[in-house]
Amino acid sequence: MFKIRIPGIIFFLLIIGSIEAQQAKSVILIYLDGGPSQTDTFDQKPEATRDIYGNYKNVQQTNVPEIVLGEKLPLLSKIADKFSLIRSMTHGFNGHETGHYAMITGDMSGGSVVYPSFGAVISYKLQNSYKGILPPYISLVEANNRFNEGGFLGNSFKSFGTKGAPEKDVFEVEGLVNTLVPADKFKNRINLLAGFETQNKDRMNGVDEVAIQSLRSQNVELISGKLKEVFNLSTETKEMREKYGMNRLGQSCLVARRLVEAGVPVINVRTTGWDTHKVHFPKMNQMLPELDRALWALLTDLDEKGLLQNTIVMCGGEFGRTPRVLWEAPWNGGRGHFSAAFSYLVAGGGFIPGKVIGKTDATGEKVVERKVFPCDLIGTVYKQMGIDPYGTLPHAIEGNLPMLPSLDKSGQSNGLLLELIKK
Amino acid sequence: MRIYLISFVLLFSVTIATAQNIDSFFVTKGEKPALCNDEVFLRRAYLSVTGRLPSKEKAAEFLNSSDTNKRTKLIDTLLESDEYLTYFGNLWGDMLRIKSEFPSNLWPNGVQAYNRWVHEKLASNTPYNQLVSELLLSKGSNFRTPAVNFYRAFPRKTPENIYGNIQLLFLGNRKPTDNGNVFFTQIRYKSTKEWKEEIVYIDYHMKTPLNQVNIDGISLPLTENDDWRTVYVNWLTSPKNQRFVGVMANRLWYWILGQGLVNEPDDWNAQNLPSKPALLDYLTKKFIASGYDMKALVREILTSYAFQCANSGVGTFKANRLNAEVIVDAIADITGISDQYSSRVPEPFSYFPNGTHSVELGDATVSSTTLELFGRASRDVSLERQHVKSLNSRQLLFLMNSSELETKIRKSPVLNDLIKNQPTLNDICKAVTLTVLSRYPTEKEMQLFNSYSNQNKLTTKQLCYDLVWMELNSSEFLYNH
Repeated sequence: MFKIRIPGIIFFLLIIGSIEAQQAKSVILIYLDGGPSQTDTFDQKPEATRDIYGNYKNVQQTNVPEIVLGEKLPLLSKIADKFSLIRSMTHGFNGHETGHYAMITGDMSGGSVVYPSFGAVISYKLQNSYKGILPPYISLVEANNRFNEGGFLGNSFKSFGTKGAPEKDVFEVEGLVNTLVPADKFKNRINLLAGFETQNKDRMNGVDEVAIQSLRSQNVELISGKLKEVFNLSTETKEMREKYGMNRLGQSCLVARRLVEAGVPVINVRTTGWDTHKVHFPKMNQMLPELDRALWALLTDLDEKGLLQNTIVMCGGEFGRTPRVLWEAPWNGGRGHFSAAFSYLVAGGGFIPGKVIGKTDATGEKVVERKVFPCDLIGTVYKQMGIDPYGTLPHAIEGNLPMLPSLDKSGQSNGLLLELIKK
Repeated sequence: MRIYLISFVLLFSVTIATAQNIDSFFVTKGEKPALCNDEVFLRRAYLSVTGRLPSKEKAAEFLNSSDTNKRTKLIDTLLESDEYLTYFGNLWGDMLRIKSEFPSNLWPNGVQAYNRWVHEKLASNTPYNQLVSELLLSKGSNFRTPAVNFYRAFPRKTPENIYGNIQLLFLGNRKPTDNGNVFFTQIRYKSTKEWKEEIVYIDYHMKTPLNQVNIDGISLPLTENDDWRTVYVNWLTSPKNQRFVGVMANRLWYWILGQGLVNEPDDWNAQNLPSKPALLDYLTKKFIASGYDMKALVREILTSYAFQCANSGVGTFKANRLNAEVIVDAIADITGISDQYSSRVPEPFSYFPNGTHSVELGDATVSSTTLELFGRASRDVSLERQHVKSLNSRQLLFLMNSSELETKIRKSPVLNDLIKNQPTLNDICKAVTLTVLSRYPTEKEMQLFNSYSNQNKLTTKQLCYDLVWMELNSSEFLYNH
């Protein structure tokens, strides 16, 4: 694990000295934007009626006796010993926006302060220790922009949205990979700009030209250098690409694995289309196999490369969907928003695999065991990333505010997921 | 009462007469410092008043004109434009946190009504004190009396949050210490059968929690069966309340010049004194004397040395990075290709027409990756610092090497027209520079462009694309300077 040899005693002192022992170096969120159905995936109810299980009565037995998955997840069923399930996520916000905010920030305090997303918090906390040139927090291919995910930490901690399409032959990453402008052309343009700026330096009264020039040089290095190769999927074998699935989600997950290898601490793989109010099952028939494949490939690949132990993988949406199918028009077999009880998958980064946390009732409409609130999950992620979940963040006016205002508050938290992490 | 007011105004007019104008505060040793040249003025004026660049035709017209009064004429033209109303309306929208979803949660219908109200108030140049009174004394439906959206734009509509916001917006006070929130305890909300309509009303039956509230050493009484907000608003907007006037005068100064006399403009406290107190005092009195005429004050600032200075100094115009919206809209204007915007709030989903500028969105819930990248005002808070002015490497990365931007340049109907109509390299250089930087290139720049073109054996088309790329990346483009 450690390439550099550290004398035993120093290593021992390092372990003792760190208050939050860092288990994870990176976290990948596979975000199913719109709200996926837990009933059809991670919290199957085969004993219930068709009004609950809908078109999916069959289940997948897995390689862990106590974990049973939905019938559309055959690949994940083979590796249930590599992840755990939280079946008792809850927050009670049934609007996309409010659910998204709660899930991504952990804040349910209802105050006027807009909290930053967990990815922004991690990139803020790591700003001095992270030495990479790639942005510390990357969204594939675009963040959900409906709320300001920088929160009160500000603009610089938002995620870097790659845009482009990783499933295409060339993944055109915004600002990094641009096939329209070849390297020699780019170099010529940079020289022209340098000449122009030199002539113009007296024109710009009160602008720090030196600082701008230094940012530009850094970018030239990034654009012309090897680092952007991390986004070049043509260096992967055809088999590897196909293992993940030749679609947006699959290839984004493959890029995520490569970003983990490059040391990027937070990666948000956002996939949309999960808001299936109407004709839910035909959509699931198409989307679940893609999700199954992408998650299976990511987890096995990370594991085979020895990266899973230091990488947290989470999968879920802003909420779940109604366990009860809406057969009537206009829904015609849809599922609505449901935030009282839904599921999240967690794996790696010191999370214990092969476990199920929490339980819902026979219809899946109520949590009957171990409610897990957003801040409980996010706080545990912070802890695994070596960040004290009880720490503070600086607010311009209010001073230092608790990083997770809801943590350990009744009705907003049920405590960190200590039972799910390795001691 | 009326006579009293008139004499009050007269009294101020007399005081002002001795101070003459803004410029007198910048004269040193009897000498007026130098003014910026026409090309700097032109760009500054367009960006500061409208948040947009002039078309190359408008730029040429101004630069070629020999009218000695052309600066003032341009200021007057810009102040009468729709773009001024849209841009300043957007700044007001940032202050008032107009947003469909979290944290303001006004929803699209409320947002539209509220934006229209702001626009109408600016279009009719409603006196500032009257505008604030109308806003704070509003009651009724959020669709029919749009100003009530002021009281709805809070995730938690408590009197403390409402009062805190009023103190911040209108007095620059970040930490209210008095118990003025009592004036806002009668506010109630109820829904109707119309989707997302909300009525804001006053509970007149509420017992007075206190007989009086002490604000700033003055005791303000609370009477039963009365709207207590009236007492507070009368105090707030009274001409005696110079702080109220000064905060807005300073905010306008900040919006136009890039730095306030009090900085940050919403942080007025004993440790944060104005850089030029006498000037701020002059502006305050002038603002009152004009009948709280915002446009007149803006006009006076624009025509002054402070705005037109050649070199920035204490209290003058200061170079500042263009706001995210301004950068995005400038790219849309230069290339003729704007981004696509849509609102995903289910009411139902709405799609903005092609050619929509980001300052016209009026809703922070509607955004784009590029707007977020440059840090568009979040409308999470009513602070001016939400206008991100810093430049980071990711923003430059976008300008330097984005395939999206490159595609816009190549597919640009504006630039391709320009190539068609400008047969020579020199014409291209002039037209591009006029389009992107609103000025003619210098002799030395023409040499630079020519040798670049010759060295690389470029066609006029290739040269045009390279020049547009280069000028969009120049700090001259990125800053209002």
